[in-house]
This record gives sequence, C-alpha cells and structure tokens, in this order.
Amino acid sequence: MRDWTHGGLARGLLAATALIFLVAGLGLVAALFLGAWRFLGEPSALSNLFGDFWDPLRNRYGVLPFIVGSVVVTLGALVMAVPLALGVAVTLAEQRTAGMKDFAVRALTVLTAVPSVIFGWWGLQMVVPWVRARVGGPGFSLLAAGIVLALMVLPTFSLFFFQSLERVPQSLREGSAALGATPDQTLWRVAFRAAMPGLTNGLLVGVARALGETMAVQMVIGGQTALPSSLTSPGATLTTQIITDMTVFPPGTRGHAVLDIMALLLMLGMYVLVRLAERWGSVS
Amino acid sequence: MPPEIRVEGLSVWYDRHHALKQVSLEVAPGEVLALIGPSGCGKSTFLRTLNRLLEEGGRARISGRVFLGDADIYDAAADIPDLRRRVGMVFQAPNPFPFSIFDNVAYGPRLQGVTDRQALRRIVERSLQQAALWDEVRGKLRRSALTLSGGQQQRLCIARALAVEPEVLLMDEPTASLDPMSTTKIEELVAALRGRYTIVMVTHNLRQAARISDRTAFFAEGTLIEVGPTRQMFTAPLDPRTEQYLTGRYES
Amino acid sequence: MKRGMVWHRVAAVLFAIAAAGFALILGSVLWAGLPDLTWHFLASWPNERTGGGGILPELINTGVMVGLTLVITAPLGLAVAVYRREYRMRRAATLNHLRATLLSAPTIVVGLVVYRVAVGWWHWPVSLLTGCLALAVINWPFMVTVAGEALEGVPQGYREASLALGASRWQTIRRVVIPASLAQLVEGLGMAAARLAGESAALIVTAGVNVSRHWSFWAPGETLAVHIWYIRTEGLVLNRDAAAAATGVTLMVLIAVVLWLSRRIARWLE
Repeated sequence: MRDWTHGGLARGLLAATALIFLVAGLGLVAALFLGAWRFLGEPSALSNLFGDFWDPLRNRYGVLPFIVGSVVVTLGALVMAVPLALGVAVTLAEQRTAGMKDFAVRALTVLTAVPSVIFGWWGLQMVVPWVRARVGGPGFSLLAAGIVLALMVLPTFSLFFFQSLERVPQSLREGSAALGATPDQTLWRVAFRAAMPGLTNGLLVGVARALGETMAVQMVIGGQTALPSSLTSPGATLTTQIITDMTVFPPGTRGHAVLDIMALLLMLGMYVLVRLAERWGSVS
Repeated sequence: MPPEIRVEGLSVWYDRHHALKQVSLEVAPGEVLALIGPSGCGKSTFLRTLNRLLEEGGRARISGRVFLGDADIYDAAADIPDLRRRVGMVFQAPNPFPFSIFDNVAYGPRLQGVTDRQALRRIVERSLQQAALWDEVRGKLRRSALTLSGGQQQRLCIARALAVEPEVLLMDEPTASLDPMSTTKIEELVAALRGRYTIVMVTHNLRQAARISDRTAFFAEGTLIEVGPTRQMFTAPLDPRTEQYLTGRYES
Repeated sequence: MKRGMVWHRVAAVLFAIAAAGFALILGSVLWAGLPDLTWHFLASWPNERTGGGGILPELINTGVMVGLTLVITAPLGLAVAVYRREYRMRRAATLNHLRATLLSAPTIVVGLVVYRVAVGWWHWPVSLLTGCLALAVINWPFMVTVAGEALEGVPQGYREASLALGASRWQTIRRVVIPASLAQLVEGLGMAAARLAGESAALIVTAGVNVSRHWSFWAPGETLAVHIWYIRTEGLVLNRDAAAAATGVTLMVLIAVVLWLSRRIARWLE
C-alpha cells in the first residue's frame, strides 16, 4: 500500500523534473534571444549582420565569413569522411563472425569518445605543417580544419553507417544474390537502398557533430575574420568565432549580442537537422 | 526445354558438422521434385547447393559435383551470378525488397542491363501474370511491396524469380509462413508452372508433397534415404525409415 | 575469384586509409607524449607562467567535475526519460525535439549561455562549479537519451507481466523496468563520463584555463582537456608539444579506463 501513495509522489516528481528540463532547454534559447535582442533591435541590424565584413571597431558586424567558414569546413569534412566511413561500414559488415562485429562496434564507440583537443593537437602537429609545406602560407586554413574534422567525425559516421547496414535483413541480400546479382550489385541496389533511412540519419547526426565542433577546428583554422578567398586560406567558423570573441566582448556589449545571434543560428541549424532526421531518417 | 540436374557425391560440412553426406540424385527436366524429411536433415542445405547460395554464408565446405545440363556448376571457371540467373529461388519467408512492386519484379532484368521502360513493363506484367498476382496489383505497381499480404508477397517473390526467365526454380518451404488460402494459391501456381521449369521444392507438409510433386526425395540426418515417384513413395516406400517418417513415428 | 567485387575492394582500401589515419593520430600522440609521462608529471603542480610542469590539479579537477556532474545529471536524466517513456506524457514530441536539439547543440553555445547566466547575472566566478553547471547542461540531454534507449530496450512483456500481477505503474518502474535496464544505464553513464572528460570548449569560458594554489569549488578549475588546448596554443614552455601530448595520453587512458570499467560493470549486472 505504501508504494501506491509513493507512486503519486514519484509521478509528481518525475513530471516536475521533465517540466524543469523543458523550461531549462527553452530558457537556454530564450537567454540567447535576450542577449541577441540588443543588436537585433537596432535599425539596419540585418544588413549589417549579413555583410561580409567583421570589424567591431568600425561597427561592422558581418557574420557571413563565419557562416561561409562553417559551411565550407563542414562540407569539406563530409566529402572526405563519408566515403571513408562507407568503406569502413561496408568492410565491417562483410565480416562474418559476430565477435569481429562486436569488437568493431566497441572500437568505433571508443573512437567517438576521443576528445576533440586530441584531434586539434594532431592537426597542429601534422596537418598544418603539411598544408604549409604543400601550398605555402601559414598552413592554418579551412583545408586543415576540414581534414581534422573529417577524421574526427569518421568514427561517428562509420558507427551509424555500419549499424544501418547491419539492420538490412540477410534474407534481402540472399534474395538479391539468388536473382543473379553480383556482390557489388547487391550492395548498391539492395543494401544501400534498404539502409537509406539509417544512412541518412547517420549523415545528419555527423553533420550536426561537424557543424558544432569547436576546439579541434579552432586550433587549426587560423581565426581570420575576413571572407576566406580559397580553401587554403585561414578563416573562422561560427563556433570558433564565438570562443575567440567571448572574452573580448563581455555580456552586454554589442559584440556579445552578435555572438548570441551566431549561437542562435547554430541552434536553428541543429533544430533543422533534427527535424530532417525525423522526416528522412526514421528507422522503421 | 528446361535442363536436368545431376548431383554426384555431394557432401557439405559446417565446420565439423557433416551436414550432407554423399548425396547423388537426378532431377528430370520439367518435373517437380519434393524434398521431405525431419528438421535439420539437410534438405534446405541441399537446395542451397543447387544455386551455390550456401557459399554466401561463408562457413560451409562443399565437395562433389552438380551438373546443370552438361556443365558442372562447381567448376572453377563457373560464373556464379550467371548460374543464379538460370536457377531461381523462392525462400521460406517472403523477402520482397522494401521497394515498389514494380521495382521488385524489375530488379532481376535491371541487373542484366535492361533499362528500356517499355521492355521492363512488359516483363513485369508477364511475370506477375505468371505468378497469378497481376489481377490483384494491376494499377498499384508503384506501391511499396511491403503493403501486400504475406501470400501476395510470396507470389511477388515468385514473379521476381520468374522475371529473369530461369530454367530451374528452387523453393524452400514456400508456404511455411502462409495461411491455408495463400498456400492453395501457391500450390496451384506450382502446378501451372510444372513442365516449363524444373522445380525442386522443400516442404514440411507431406500432403503438399503428395499433391503437387512428380517425385519425392526423403532425407534424414544428411543422407538421401530414398527417392522415387511420389505415388509409390507414399503408398509403398522401400526403406523402413521412410515409412516410419510418413506415418509419424520417425525419431532421429 | 568471384565476379563483381570491385566496390568491395574499394571499400577495403578506404577502410585501410581510415584505419591508417587513426593509427597515425593515436600513434603520434603516444609517440610524443609517452616519454614525458612520468610520475613526477602526474603528481606535481603546473608552472603558472609557462604552463609547463605537472598536471595533478588538472587530473583532480577533471575527476571532480565529471563526477559531480554525473551525480547531478544521472538521476535528472533518468527521471525525464522515465516520465517520457513510462507515463502518458503530454507534449512528448516537443520534449523529444528539444532533447535532440540540445543533444546536438555545440557545447560552446552552452558555454556562452552559462557564462551569461551564471557569471553575468548571478555573479558566479569563473570556477570549477560554474564549469560543472555548464557540463550539467551539456550532459542532461545526453543522459535523457541514453536512459531513454535503455528503457526502450526493456521488453514490453516485462511491464505487462508486472502490471498483470497487480503492481502499480511506479512499482513496475522501480522493481522491474529500472533493474532490467540497469546494465545499459551503467554503460550510458560510462559514455557520458568519457564525453564530459573530453569536453573543452564550454569549460574554457566557464571554468577557466588556470588552476589555483588553493583548491576550491569557487577557484578556477582547468581540466585535462582544456590544459592540452591551453599549453599547445597559448603555452610558452619549450616542450609544449610533448607536455600537451603527455596530458593527452593521460586523458585518453582515463577515458579508456572509464569505458572499460563501465562495460565490465554492465556485463556483471547482466
């Protein structure tokens, strides 16, 4: 009988916790809005914001260079990481013993937990000097950031791709083989196609991870605030610019308000990715 | 005229387990051969050696020879995808691809490079008609195959196999997961296909074997116990083990 | 040889490239860091001016902050997940969207908000505790997610069996559902610990990049991950690559041990 009364109390507590979670989450976004309002309320805020020039001393707050930086670095990482991850996933899915697959999943899980500063360290140690030696210039560049980020999201992609390929029933592969399909044909026409929701979901999760990554990118991108002229020129992303300028502009300043706007843009991007994953990536 | 199948001294091992022991058997062109026997007797394994699907699992070792017509399918130079085009297969559980009905049936022809829409449409329609499914899915070819009922899915899988114009059809308990109505439809279909294809069918259902097969082979513990005309097998089996099995008293 | 294996070979080559890339990363960290990884390095204080020296306080800070954060967020995360999964909750879809969005939120955004709220409004110092707050905000949606997956893994039959025996919903949760999902919860906790130990962006702005002589919850609390970033990018010490790498090796060993331990405990619970 005691548990019955406890049940009501427990339920109330759980509901309250869920409510706090909702409030805290929405509060986080609200705090950003509150901070951003100081700038958004100004006349011609938007034209200033979407200018391609960032020079707070001259009152120029164009965030376009950072948006371009984020998009280019993320795309660059995808172009490198997705084929590699598909290769990893396909090769692992071919393994026939369950022990081998189990080990692969565990290894990939551990690799997803490697801290971003480790990748940043490696980028400084090898990638930046390599870019410098190859194309000249400082070496700190969008390209270096893309390479580092590609390696960083590779385990995430691989894990998701592998798991979605594993969910394709063996009976479909056999059905395809029995119709005279070669292994390659089965892979492209049945396995990838049947796994498409899972692959899409993994892709979107990886994109979110790449877009939100801060430190690994910050360490190798160079932090230049002008619109980058090429892949090998230094740049900055939304996330790296936030961390660079946060201590420069304390809360309450116009600069900080723009950082809030950049954070809002990132959150909006994440929300869109979540909704897209829900629509295209639902694993039924 | 479909080809005959001649199996000589076929053995299969899974790791240490000797799953199929020195099986020799002939299937005449155009006949329906039923494979019966207790669970785990090797009849499904035997079926999967005929289109070399057993090797997809990776663990099996196979020795012996299997002739399809004049060619040994286990010859080192044999082309496995080409073999499987000639030997279609229908599985125990319906396994349509999660594509549209049209794409399922067109899958095999497309593998062989048929891209012309008109040609594909003709093949799809003819195959669905052969599989007695056309009337039920006409005008719904764009729907996902997964919206069909289990019996319809299995007939779709048969249509899919027929679309590549095989010469042999292997069926692995095709009605095991279906209700009686659907089972009857599949049985009628097999009867209609007799003569045009050489059909080898595994079944657990003895009455089904009696109804639709020309000859029956009885397997037990990886060995082919006996093979003969179905009528004779069910009325006067030669081996006492066959009789025990048919009367439900066999214990392995 | 089987026909039509070209793409499978391409995949194998890509696999080899990926594996080589990771071998290169982990290998170079170990190569550069192992020689400097001495007992003295682990057990002594860092040098304030150059950033070199030992990493003892960073080690302690990492342990304390991750531990404290987990103690706070694990029950909170489980509570939200239980309420969402086990009770018929209104606005469950909203909660789920919020959870997923927060889960993928860049941690620096969390740092930005915590900095404004805790440091700006509440006048907390940049300190260990402020860092914990940031970690808690980062980890809460993660705990909700892993707890939700753990609950999802409990067969519906268990719940029905318990309810059919006359147990209340809460009794079912407490005596059947949570015990049955305990192993997965522990593994999720391990993943969370690994994730938090590697966090740096949010902590740089909330917990700071140095350590105090007098350890306190209100003193700056640099962690191992932040230390790697700090000495490698801002440090003045001569062997900063090696010192950063040695810290990196320490951090990765720590993470590996946590993951291994949580898995062992999960196995044992199963």
